[in-house]
Amino acid sequence: MNEILEIKELTKYYNSLPVLDKISFRAHEGEFISIIGPSGCGKTTLLKTISGLIKPTSGKMEFKDRPAEFAVKKGRFGFVFQDAVLLPWRNVLKNIELPLEILGNANSRKTPKDLLKIVGLEGFENYYPNQLSGGMQQRVAIARALAFRPAVLLMDEPFGALDEITRNHMNLELLRIWQAEKAVTSTIIFITHSIPEAVFLSDKVIVLSKRPARIKEVLDINLPRPRETEIKSSKEYFALVECLRKMLKTE
Amino acid sequence: MLKKNVKNRIKDICTPALFLLGGFFLWEGLAAVLNVPEFLLPKPSKIILEVIAQFSFLLKHLYITMLEALSGYLVAILLSFTLATIFVYSKTMEKGLYPYAIAIKIAPTLAMAPFVILWFGIGLESKIVIVTLICFFPLLVNTVKGLKTVDEEALNLLKSLSASKWQIFLKLRLPSSLPFIFPALKISSTLAITGAFVGEFLAANQGIGYLILLYSRILDTTTALAALFVMILAGILLFSLISLIEKKVVFWQKSEEI
Repeated sequence: MNEILEIKELTKYYNSLPVLDKISFRAHEGEFISIIGPSGCGKTTLLKTISGLIKPTSGKMEFKDRPAEFAVKKGRFGFVFQDAVLLPWRNVLKNIELPLEILGNANSRKTPKDLLKIVGLEGFENYYPNQLSGGMQQRVAIARALAFRPAVLLMDEPFGALDEITRNHMNLELLRIWQAEKAVTSTIIFITHSIPEAVFLSDKVIVLSKRPARIKEVLDINLPRPRETEIKSSKEYFALVECLRKMLKTE
Repeated sequence: MLKKNVKNRIKDICTPALFLLGGFFLWEGLAAVLNVPEFLLPKPSKIILEVIAQFSFLLKHLYITMLEALSGYLVAILLSFTLATIFVYSKTMEKGLYPYAIAIKIAPTLAMAPFVILWFGIGLESKIVIVTLICFFPLLVNTVKGLKTVDEEALNLLKSLSASKWQIFLKLRLPSSLPFIFPALKISSTLAITGAFVGEFLAANQGIGYLILLYSRILDTTTALAALFVMILAGILLFSLISLIEKKVVFWQKSEEI
């Protein structure tokens, strides 16, 4: 697998408060990486730094061997927030088109309507965000992030606000969407505080320490793909969940 | 569901109408029973008949008052919006000018009006200036607040797309500010008419304020009240029109009644 993103000793201080402490890892094409850690440890700061929203105090980020800033400007990173962050005055279709209006249509191949089909919202083009459930809103947010065909999708606890049942369903949906879009959006970096979610979705789980966040452990998840709900009753799945639980517990 | 909506609509319209009718008959009856002289308090039926009889005359003066009110209102909207936009992008301008905007608000309009008339004459211009002064502040405060109150994550979303300042203004700040601007537009619409009226009261030779002053001096209370009546009606119409536009434009938010 080709390397797509390299993070080198990323460090962030807020004034004199250390938040990120020499975070280094690599992401490859076709890889699903979860980042897990105690709440308030700096997970969101890490993701926002990667996406260029926050400037690091020191450290380097490279996208395909070039400084990541270029990739940010070209819209190679898609961002999905904890809340759907839809603009209430735009209908579903217009919300999905927002990134295209800003970045220009250069990146897009699929029309927003095709994207709606992929995220399972066909026929909802003209609905407004306040007419949709939380799960549906998050689907729109995912479609919007995919609209400009980013190479890397950064997701900050996107299903954290959803109930358990919806969340499990959205996990499956995310894997299905990723499968459909993999040729374009090959890599996902996903923040979560749910151990089962991290194991179910990922190829690799990065465990962060308490603040300042350091990388404590990296756990490879060698479960076969495509993954369905049944995998959650397998011995391997349980062992990985247990292993991750212990890693987080020793904090 | 739809039926219930229609029912509520009918209730919304009928309840105040019934109260109006009740007040009308109470006033009419009391005036007849107590035999109040007409110059003191005319019967409402008399006032309405006067409105009908003098309609084109009243309309001519109402036109002047509304022209003053609406012109000043528009000037205030443009001014406050421009200034609010500048304030959002320049801390220096905001710090330097905001205190004076407050000063304008603190000085009572009535206290400033004589100077305005001295400088701008007794024509339309002075009324427009007074209306602008009175409408300006609530519009400015709410527009500044509206342009600044932006969902932080939405701002991050646009920044993560490398949106320019202009794009952020157009696609996020401006629509986010509308729920704040419309209540100020509603308040100012009533203030605009007050402003025009104050100006006409001080010095004018036309307009509803001028008529009321003129006819109350010669104790033609019926005509004075008829003039007041058409002005109130026009004010309610303007307010309703803006509320209607608000419902259409800021459809995503449940409007608060003011």
